Amino acid sequence: MGIVRTDRLVYEYVRRDEENQVEETLRAVDGVSLDVEEGQFVAILGRNGSGKSTLAKHINALLFPTDGVVWVGGMDTRREEFLWDIRQTAGMVFQNPDNQIIASVVEEDVGFGPENMGVPTPEIWRRVQESLEAVGMYAYRQASPNHLSGGQKQRVAIAGVMAMRPRCIVLDEPTAMLDPSGRKEVIRTVRKLNREEGITVILITHYMEETVEADRIFVMDDGRLRMAGAPREIFAQVEELKAMGLDVPQATELGFRLAKDGLPIPSGILTIPELVQSLRDARDAGARVRAASQEDRADGQASAPKKGDGPEPAPAAEPVLELRNVSYRYGAGTPMEIQVLKGLSLSIPQGQFVCPIGHTGSGKSTLIQHLNGLLRPDSGEVRFRGEDIFAEKYDRRRLRGKVGMVFQYPEHQLFESDVLADVCFGPKNLGLSQEEAEARAREALRLVGMDESYYRRSPFELSGGQKRRAAIAGVLAMEPEVLVLDEPTAGLDPAGRDEILDQVARLHRERGMAVVLVSHSMEDVARYAERLVVLDAGQVILDGTPRQVFLHFRELEKMGLSAPQVTYLMEELRQAGFPAAGHGITVEEAERDILRCFREETAE
Amino acid sequence: MLKDITLGQYYPVASPVHRLDPRVKLMGTLIFLISLFVADRWPCYLLATLFLGGCIRVSRVPLGYILRGLKMVIFLLMFSVAFNVFLTPGEVLVQAWIFRITREGLLQGAYMAARLIYLVMGSSLMTFTTTPNALTDGMEKGLGFLRVFRVPVHELAMTMSIALRFIPLLTEEADKIMKAQMARGADFESGSLLQRAKALVPLLVPLFISAFRRAMDLAMAMESRCYRGGAGRTKMHPLRYQRRDAAAYGLLALYLGLMIALRVLV
Repeated sequence: MGIVRTDRLVYEYVRRDEENQVEETLRAVDGVSLDVEEGQFVAILGRNGSGKSTLAKHINALLFPTDGVVWVGGMDTRREEFLWDIRQTAGMVFQNPDNQIIASVVEEDVGFGPENMGVPTPEIWRRVQESLEAVGMYAYRQASPNHLSGGQKQRVAIAGVMAMRPRCIVLDEPTAMLDPSGRKEVIRTVRKLNREEGITVILITHYMEETVEADRIFVMDDGRLRMAGAPREIFAQVEELKAMGLDVPQATELGFRLAKDGLPIPSGILTIPELVQSLRDARDAGARVRAASQEDRADGQASAPKKGDGPEPAPAAEPVLELRNVSYRYGAGTPMEIQVLKGLSLSIPQGQFVCPIGHTGSGKSTLIQHLNGLLRPDSGEVRFRGEDIFAEKYDRRRLRGKVGMVFQYPEHQLFESDVLADVCFGPKNLGLSQEEAEARAREALRLVGMDESYYRRSPFELSGGQKRRAAIAGVLAMEPEVLVLDEPTAGLDPAGRDEILDQVARLHRERGMAVVLVSHSMEDVARYAERLVVLDAGQVILDGTPRQVFLHFRELEKMGLSAPQVTYLMEELRQAGFPAAGHGITVEEAERDILRCFREETAE
Repeated sequence: MLKDITLGQYYPVASPVHRLDPRVKLMGTLIFLISLFVADRWPCYLLATLFLGGCIRVSRVPLGYILRGLKMVIFLLMFSVAFNVFLTPGEVLVQAWIFRITREGLLQGAYMAARLIYLVMGSSLMTFTTTPNALTDGMEKGLGFLRVFRVPVHELAMTMSIALRFIPLLTEEADKIMKAQMARGADFESGSLLQRAKALVPLLVPLFISAFRRAMDLAMAMESRCYRGGAGRTKMHPLRYQRRDAAAYGLLALYLGLMIALRVLV
């Protein structure tokens, strides 16, 4: 038997009304049997609400089976006398880095577990040092967690578990709230612990690229275990994964599409080098695609909405929003003063879809808070339709109706007793009557695709994705001319992410709304943006169409950014002797370009 | 504006004050508070100033940092000073309509201000130089005798240390929610008192919900790390008095003695 084993595990959440009568039961985990061998790196994939977190909490004996059995290190979790041994054997790291750090100093937090276990003091110190060294955080042992980045906090949390000397670590979406560099940091740490210390790792995630190197992947959907196998076996089932609201790495998806187009590409491609190799093999074998099928595709592409590879956006006569030479400092006059924006100028024409990109701390969030006057520049001007928004008589509340802003995790701002009332909050603040506000709220809720049956429900009963839509509707109901979104897809699973972004793209297309979207995902910005503005240290470094900007991927890397996976693929293809590979930045473009290569070469 | 709450934030530098046993610092703060209420004339305040100034100097916490904590009590401060200045009977200096400023009143007002300011500064200095965990340990051990009276000392201490850890997180969160609601046209700055109180609902409801969510997450994280109350727990920093602690107690005794002497003899 492996270190963690479940047998027909069932867990039901029971909701009770005020009289303690069962109101409804929700089967979160439904008959899951799995076996994890000691020393393995195992990933559990599944969309939000698929039951993967509930499963994880059983491994740590935080939840107990409604039916079925869970064994951890051979111990049945239902046996009370094993409780503390189980929690020690299989430690757990949670999603929110802030909500699992108990102490105010790093080393004290790492010592918390051993203290609870009654480990003698000198031994605690030894373990704290070892664990912090293992996650590369020893230099920060005296620091306050509040001053660490998200990735660093998660590494501290991992050290806190390591100090309990577990045989297995369960990580419940540890990277969901982190930026790309933080995500890499955490995954690298976990992999190292797995390889060097032989710790069994169970990683729950919906970032596909984190699972590529796993020994084994389990896929959950709707409480059930749908797939189990090596990454190559799992990712060969592209359509099945997509049907479950999941995604595959871009290299896998491209390989899958090309195989469907008739190229001899094996299924279950995981990495760029693998795909490049199989394309070379295909070329050497003289593979060709029928010209007709390729042309069909090209036609289809031409009629598809423009995705960033079109001509440069026409310079509009009148920009809707304009920043002129804006500088901003945080904590002015204190020792912690930081200059965040340095003489930044940016003009956003009517109806443009623009994405500011930059690593954490480059000034993106500060920048967007100037657009609706939440922050006031130390120097420089912000103009909306030509008017200075910090002029004496300017009505900034009205401006906030015109420049709608959706903050990160907007669902945290919901407060009303029902969804409709919450969405009415904005319009009412603009001075509209109850009827007008409600009419706008209904329209906004319709725009984000929320069913009328939700209108009278409490926003707090909704699922994560629904809450977020309600919150976005709350901004749309003010009928803004410019929509600003700060990472609207943070923490959502792939299907939820695509839904939100597609809705934003539709608002842009159909209503001509200018959109300013901040995102860490280069794949997303490549798909949706018409223009990218690269920020670094409070200045605009690059500004152009996504295709133009991603040509500079080496410079982007120096700024802690990257380009979409396909960009690297196309680069390697060119080096591997596919001169016509082009500069595609989305999977669709790459597919078209590669097919063209095969047609042209075989036509010779 | 919420960033000004500095109370309960640890300032990480190495200093002799930071290294003291938390029980000494707790006791020291208590003695300092008592001394402020003993003080009733300027030589006493001079002594208190020297003492506090010395402690701050040795602690290497910037003075500006400690002073920022005063913003929280500015209203209380102004109110009590005004109260003293206008309502203390004595030799009249200025009289305008029903307002009368007396010599004694000015003096009392000044003393009261000094008392309040030193009180806040003294307790901030303690939290700046003592990690919440050490403070908790100090209280737990220093007040351990209360367990006899069924006071859940460990639980109270743990609750306090967690509260301190989450203050900066919640203030940051309040700031974010405030901005998000302002982006939806909320107005927190104008209107009558009632309107302003009402305007706080969209801020407070999400803040409470977030606090509960954090509390639940934290409880789970603590359980998963084998927390089960104070029994059987070992300590990373077991409290053992060092020679410097004895020296500090000596200094404290000297200070309190001097203060009483000043009051009685001068």
